Amino acid sequence: MHSVLTRGNTVLAYALSVLACLTFACFLSTVFLDYVTDSKIKTVKVVVKNVPDYSASREKNDLGYLTFDLQADLTHLFNWNVKQLFLYLTAEYKTENNELNQVVLWDKIILRGENAVLDYKNMNTKYYFWDDGNGLRANENVTLSLSWNIIPNAGLLPNIIATGSHSFKFPSEYTTYRV
Amino acid sequence: MNSFQDYEGQGRAEKLSRIIITIFGVVGLTWGYIVQQFSQTVYILGAGFALALIMTIPPWPIYRRKPLKWQPARDSKDSTHVSKDQSSKKGKKK
Repeated sequence: MHSVLTRGNTVLAYALSVLACLTFACFLSTVFLDYVTDSKIKTVKVVVKNVPDYSASREKNDLGYLTFDLQADLTHLFNWNVKQLFLYLTAEYKTENNELNQVVLWDKIILRGENAVLDYKNMNTKYYFWDDGNGLRANENVTLSLSWNIIPNAGLLPNIIATGSHSFKFPSEYTTYRV
Repeated sequence: MNSFQDYEGQGRAEKLSRIIITIFGVVGLTWGYIVQQFSQTVYILGAGFALALIMTIPPWPIYRRKPLKWQPARDSKDSTHVSKDQSSKKGKKK
């Protein structure tokens, strides 16, 4: 404390320690919050094609095509330790090849302050619904569910699965129309 | 510029800086929680940091009230030049 530099060092070090404590307090104030909420998902149109997957093996694989309705109000998920939400819509199903298949069909980033009330009608998927083989046609039980990843200022990066998933089945015939 | 603070002044400066930063931190945390903006907390702590720097870095008169009273340099011919060296150092510090 005898010179300008040592005094500056003391003050800066203490201020940074306090900042770390405040950040930890912010984390503690939100770590036990329950971020699960409800979503409503519905499929509108569901078809399946059997086409070559040139991005992978060039063999003919099942390609699902669907449009969906999605409603969810995520406004109350935002607090002072949430910077953004990364939403993603997953399809889960079982085939002969794999016990569990998970395909991300659509995603969206919602920054804090943006509109967090989702109300989509007849949305197209963002990514291809490729199956790993021929397991989509006549698949009886494909479950769509909405999940989100919370990006905080400090702390954990929780992955939350919304309640309110939707199950549908694929038709038993391949479509020949362009979709 | 001479930035010297006396021993008690150094103690008071350190104590004051801690108090300022702690108070601004607590107020910032409370305010940030009320408005649900952690950036407000950081800005308020930053203001406390700036205030603590202004209040404690310059050698304000309140930190120089009790200067040490050095003994006058002993003027002895038989002692070696070492003692002379010491006395000149002390003079500089003051």
